[in-house]
This record gives sequence, structure tokens and C-alpha cells, in this order.
Amino acid sequence: MNGRTITHAQLAALVADLVAAGTAVTAPARAADGRLDYRPVTRLEDAVLGDGLPRLSLKALFLPPTEPLFAFRLSGSDVAIDSVPTSFPPHVVLGAVPCDAAGVQALDKVMGWDYRDELWFGRREATTIVSVGCSSRDETCFCGATGGGPTATRGADLLLVPLEGGFAVEIVTSKGEALVTAHEERFGPAPNEADVARSRAALAGSRVEPVAPLAPVTTWLAEHFEDPLWADVALRCHGCGACASVCPTCHCFDIVDEPEGVTHGTRRRNWDTCQAGRFTLHASGHNPRADQHARFRQRLMHKFSIYPARFGELLCTGCGRCSRACPGGMDLPEVLRTIAERAATAGGAA
Amino acid sequence: MNLYEPYLARVTDLVDETPDTRTLRLAFQEPELARTFDFKAGQFGEYTAFGAGECTFCIASSPTRQGYIECSFKTVGKATTALRSLNVGDTMGFRGPYGNHFPLGKMEGSSLVFIAGGIGLAPVRSVIWNALDLRDRFRDVTIVYGARSVSDLVYKRELAEWAARPDVTLRQTVDPGGETPGWTGDVGLVPAIVEKAAPSAADAYAIVCGPPVMIKYTLPVLTKLGFAADRIYTTLENRMKCGIGKCGRCNIGPVYVCKDGPVFTAEEMAKLPQEF
Amino acid sequence: MQVVIGWEEGPRGVRPAFVTDPASARGLVFDERCTQNLVPYLSPRRTHVARLGRPAVVVKGCDARAVAGLVRETQLKREDVVVIGVRCGGVVADPTSLEALSPATVSDRCPGCTAREPHLADHVVGEMPPPPPAGSRRDARIAELEKMEPAARWAFWQEELGRCVRCHACREACPMCFCERCVADKTQPQWVESSPHPRGNFAWHVTRALHQAGRCIDCGECERACPVDIPLGLLNRKLAQVASEQFGHVPTDDPAVPSPVGAFKKDDPQEFIL
Repeated sequence: MNGRTITHAQLAALVADLVAAGTAVTAPARAADGRLDYRPVTRLEDAVLGDGLPRLSLKALFLPPTEPLFAFRLSGSDVAIDSVPTSFPPHVVLGAVPCDAAGVQALDKVMGWDYRDELWFGRREATTIVSVGCSSRDETCFCGATGGGPTATRGADLLLVPLEGGFAVEIVTSKGEALVTAHEERFGPAPNEADVARSRAALAGSRVEPVAPLAPVTTWLAEHFEDPLWADVALRCHGCGACASVCPTCHCFDIVDEPEGVTHGTRRRNWDTCQAGRFTLHASGHNPRADQHARFRQRLMHKFSIYPARFGELLCTGCGRCSRACPGGMDLPEVLRTIAERAATAGGAA
Repeated sequence: MNLYEPYLARVTDLVDETPDTRTLRLAFQEPELARTFDFKAGQFGEYTAFGAGECTFCIASSPTRQGYIECSFKTVGKATTALRSLNVGDTMGFRGPYGNHFPLGKMEGSSLVFIAGGIGLAPVRSVIWNALDLRDRFRDVTIVYGARSVSDLVYKRELAEWAARPDVTLRQTVDPGGETPGWTGDVGLVPAIVEKAAPSAADAYAIVCGPPVMIKYTLPVLTKLGFAADRIYTTLENRMKCGIGKCGRCNIGPVYVCKDGPVFTAEEMAKLPQEF
Repeated sequence: MQVVIGWEEGPRGVRPAFVTDPASARGLVFDERCTQNLVPYLSPRRTHVARLGRPAVVVKGCDARAVAGLVRETQLKREDVVVIGVRCGGVVADPTSLEALSPATVSDRCPGCTAREPHLADHVVGEMPPPPPAGSRRDARIAELEKMEPAARWAFWQEELGRCVRCHACREACPMCFCERCVADKTQPQWVESSPHPRGNFAWHVTRALHQAGRCIDCGECERACPVDIPLGLLNRKLAQVASEQFGHVPTDDPAVPSPVGAFKKDDPQEFIL
């Protein structure tokens, strides 16, 4: 392992150093109601590392629920545009959940093809993501089936693996290395490899993922846009979009103008969801996805068929948030298992 | 550069095509941009009425006519209502050009058959003028255009111009009941008029745009006339916000209409899920 | 009946079930985990459910008020649905919970419940279980909030509503939010800003609470659907208190009792309407 160690005391000092230097630090922390959110922290004690998923995923730091795209001022027949900055001050995320970090990396593809989304990448470049090994998997999550795992490094710049008294620090990217180099005195020597291996094994545990690897699902989906399955699996769906709000990879957005008075206003980008009927509703009244099952199919297709076909990777990191958030009791692992069974049957028949 | 910031453009002309359809001509305010802006027929853009938002339309003018672009739209929602309220001299916004285009280069040396219904003439008009401005590069040019009624026909002045040209065959039609006393064109639905006009498919391309139902019934007619599916082009309209493959709104199955389209061949369309 | 909407065992606790085959009916369950209100599935907007055909729905006493609400507001004809009632002693807040019903796990809306018998039902199943704890927790929490200094109360709601991402899951899961076009989706004019900034969020939640005043049947689905745990039940409950104090209205499963916003009485407190 290419790595260092850091004790809890050193980590606390690192956070203090960063804050003192004007670097914003965000970490999973308790909100007033006791639940975890990614929140700004100024001291390590407020961060909750490796002990549960924040309510909203890490994507919210890079694609905020709402953000200004620019402001405009109207004067007679003239308009002036006030740009928003596309470069951002340095920012460290401490304690990202590995499936969240992976989600951000997956989104780099759509944010960068042809047209580079400078607001996304401006934040990406300014931010160093320090993931921490996850110990909170439950029956809704399946990172292993999406190529991740409790100590996966995809999307992370540094990965912390818990050790007695602190963490092993795996240096994943040059950006991560730069953070270590800049705060050299806050890091200890390389860890004992056997200790790290034991810690990783403990996090991995012996559990079986609730979903098998997803390649057959992707194959099946590409050939089954029309299938009786869709009307069936989507019955419970309220179309509420809670799944998309909490998802680390759902990135659909709306663009709206908000006038403030008659002379100026702001154009904003807001989260949106393909689960809402209004999402594809044309002004004419025509709606290509008029039915909830078509909307549910779209979300599943986007994650497990469209995105892989286009960008070579899944648009799901198996975090399980959608199952936990669904008021209708929909369960993504169950749907994926159903599809995998059909894929296997179809494969057997062929 | 922030992708979501539009160019500023001034409305330099406006034409009311029908009671609810307007064409705006706009010229970019930045002189360098006004001089260098380029696009291809079939591409689209996001047009801003500041304070109301953006709408997605094709560029309705021809790339051969430089110094301005045009868009034609029906007033249906908040942003189109606001665009309609703009006067000559007012400032609007434009992002684009986005998407693919009609492969006019590939069509050189061939005959062109244009078929449009209602406001579907807007993207087709861009190609028509593009081809007519390079008239010697193409063989026969046939246009079949229909609307519900005479008052719903758009670009009436240009229809007259095309009708007068010896090097263009124009068939205009209105739906039964939509004709006026002085109407000299056809009466009937576009697919039927295409069948009657029977343009030769020999070394020809068809470019079709209109309401889904018109396209649906025109394609079999073209097939019957001998047009191969990969020589029939159409352009799709789907709700969009970003226009650049990010906002997730315009997908039809695996296709991003904004990036893979909006122009598709009938062959490509047949492979798409029927969700548009 | 072509479909019975009830509850079944899912991979994680109980969940809504749509039984179209009589043989599958034995999979239906009712117990203290059945917290979901199934009446939203009767909404005309649920075209994918409507396609299954004529429905029967299983309701707790509280959910029966939603059926009454839809009938009262002409979204549903009473004769178009068979209502199967279950007698309820309270349900847990989290239907995926493995923990037994207790004062710690009971849904906030259950303590003090007065709607345990579904009077509206065509068929009622089961014996009446013992009641949930007495005393509304929401009333108690509202009393606490009302005792706060305005600045502190403002800070509380800023924190809670500040998390809203405007997914509108609260609306979609609500049996009484059946509008084909919600005021929040209207753009001409734009009554409610769609952005999840403080101004938009306050506008949305205040508007929704007002539109629910005297109509909310207190099933808690909005709060349960909220992906960021906004205590929407407090807003709705507060408005219900007002409806009760000012107009003497309490949620009921009698469709013939008009809602205060749907009726006018000469002794209504706002006499200026006259």
C-alpha cells in the first residue's frame, strides 16, 4: 500500500490547520435533528467518520440542489449578464463514504462529454476528497455488485482505513498526495500492512451482496424496453422522486429564471427528477412518459443501460439510499434480482 | 466559459406567421461573434427571454444567410409568451448551435424532397434555403407543405417565392375544411398529397418534419415511392433544458436527442423505443 | 374487484401490495408495521394503478379519512371503491422496522388517536387492539415550539426547511394532494418559486400547509416520504389545530361532513366574507 498513517490527534490538527488556512472542510456531521448530513465542520470532534451515510449524497457539494448560473440586469432594451465564478476556493471533504466518492467520479463523464460543465469541474478541481472505510452496510446496499466496496478508492483522493488510534492513509491521486505533502507533519509513517489488511477484511465482513454482478442486467435492459415487467415493478411507485434526491448519481436538473423585481433576476439550475410527470411534459400537453411505469423504467435504464452504453460505467454505486428513502417500499436490489433472474432464464433458453 | 450563459442578441425583425406563430430574427450583439457565428441546417439552440427562461427551437434560417439567425415558435408557455412580447431592438439570449444537422454535403448531386406540416416547416426551411442558395449543386427540388388551414401556413411570403421559382416544385395543402374561397392549393392530408405528387426516389433524399401523426403516415408513402429508410431524414423535438447532454430530459431510450440528434434517419427512428 | 390494494411482506418489512389474483390474497398482512397509507394509490393521477381495474383498498381508521376526503372533494365516487377496514392499535413510524410497537417506535401521529375504527369501511376486519399511548406528541412539540422566542422558532424552521430540495415527495405521497396541476408547478404566473432556496422552500411549505388546512387527514405520509426528514407533520398539525379551534373541524371519515375550506357557515369567524 502506498501510504501513511494518521492518528486521531494528527487528524484533528490537520482539520485545524486547514480551517486556519481558510480551506473549507466538509464532513458527515449531525444536524439539529441528530441525522447525518455533509456539513461544514471546523473541528474533528464534529465529524462522524465511517459511521453511516449522510442523508443527501456527496453530489450535492458539486451539483447543489440549487445554484445560480448567472444574473441578469434589464435596462430598457438592453440586458447585461453578471457571470458567476467558475473557480472555487480550496475545499476538503473529510470522511466521504466510498460509494459517494464513486458517484461523483461516475458523474464526471456526463459533466465532461463534449461540453465541459465548468461549475461542476470548478468545484471538482478545488475539492480534495478523503474517503473513509465504511462500516455501515445494510441489506439495501450493494456497492460490491457495482465494482465498489467498503474500502474502494474510486473517486477518492485519499482513503482512510481505520486502525487502532487512527487511520491508515492510502494515497490515491496526486491531489491526495499534494494534501499529504502540504501537511507532512500531520502524517505518520507507512502503516503495518497486516494491520491494514485486517481492518479492510473486518470492514468487508463475510456478507453476501444482495445483488449479483450487474452485467447481465445491463444486457437484459438493452433488449427489454418493452416488457410486462415495467408495469408490474412500478406499481408501488408514487413518482415522488425521493430516490433521485438522495441518489449519489441522479443528476437531472431544471433551469429556471427567477426575476427579482422587473429589472434584474437570476437564472438558476435546480435538481429535478425523471420520476415526476412534469419532467417530460411538453408545453403542448403531450407527454412522452405519461405513465409512472415509463418514468420508473427511465430511471433504471439510465443507471444500468443508457449510462453504461454511453460512458462504460454504471450510474449506480449501490449505496442503497433509494430503497431506504422510498415511501412506497420499492427496493432496488429486489428489482435488480428480478431482472437478473429473467436474464438468466433468457440466457438459459437461448 | 460558463456553458449556461447565453450570447446576447438583438431582435432585428419579427413576422407573425399565423395568429399564434411568430418568427424572430436576431443579430448577435458582440461584433466578432456576429461575424464568425456559424451553424449547419438542422441544428438547434436555446433561446432566452430574460426573466421567463429558455426555450428550445431549431434555427429556422439558412446558414448561407449570414449576420443573423431566425427562430419560429408557437406561443404556448411562459417563455414563448415572453419571447413573443419582445419588440424589434429588444435583447434576447441564445445558446448554441447544438446537436447534429442534416447532411446536406452528402446530398449534393441528388434530388431533394422536402415534406413538412405546420410549424414543422421551420427546420426544413433552413435546409430549403441552404439548398436553394446552392441550387446548382442539387437536382430536382420538391416541397410538399401542409397545415390545418390556410391561416396556419407559415412563411407565406416564402411559399409564394418558392411557388414562383421554375426550379422548385411546390405542393401546398390544407386539411379538408381548412381551405378559404380563393385557395388554389391542394386540400388533403400531407401523406396523401405526397402520394399524389409522387416525387421520384431515384437518387433522392427526403427531409420530413411535422406532427408525429403526419410523420407516421408519411413514412410508409415514402417507402412505397422507393425511398430507402436511410435516405429519409427527420428531426425530433423533445423537451430539453440544457441542450448539451447533461440535464437528462431528452433521452429516448439510449439516445440523447440533444447530442445524437435532433436529426435522425427513418432507419434510426425505427430502432428507437416508441417514447416520443 | 379487479385489484385489492393492501400490505404484504416485502424484502424489508411490509409494503403496499396490489393483488389481482385471488390466490395471492393470502399474502396480504396487517400488523403494527402497516404504517403506509394506501389511499394515494386511488388518486386519478396513478394511471398505472388505475389500469389494473376496479379497486378495493385496505384502510386503517386514519386512512379511511383520506377515502372520505377524496369522495368529499369529488375525486372518487364512493361506489367505485370497496373499502376494507382494519382496526388499529397504532403503527410503528418505520414500516421496515424490526422493532415491536412501543412508545419509542410508535408513529408520531398515533398517540391520542381517535380514528381507530374505520366507520366508512364496507367490511371491517379484526378485533380492536389496545389503544396506542394517549396524548398527541405533535401537539406537545407544537406547544414547545410556540413557547420559543420568535427568533429561535425562526431558526428552527430555517434549519428544517433549509434542507428541502424541492423534490415534492411530500406532495406526491399525499392522498389529498391530488391536483392535476399543483400551484407550485404553475408558471403563468409563477406563484411559488421552484428553487430550493429559503424563499422558495418557505413559500412552498407554507402554501402546502395552507392548502391542507382542514383537509389534511394526518396520515403522516408527507413526513415519511421526505428524504430529508422535515417535520412536516408539525406544520399540518398546527393548521389542523387552527381548523379545529376556529371552525370546529376535526378530520373525519364521514364524506358528508364538509371541509372548512369547502363550506361556508354564517357563524364562521371571518365574518368579513359577508
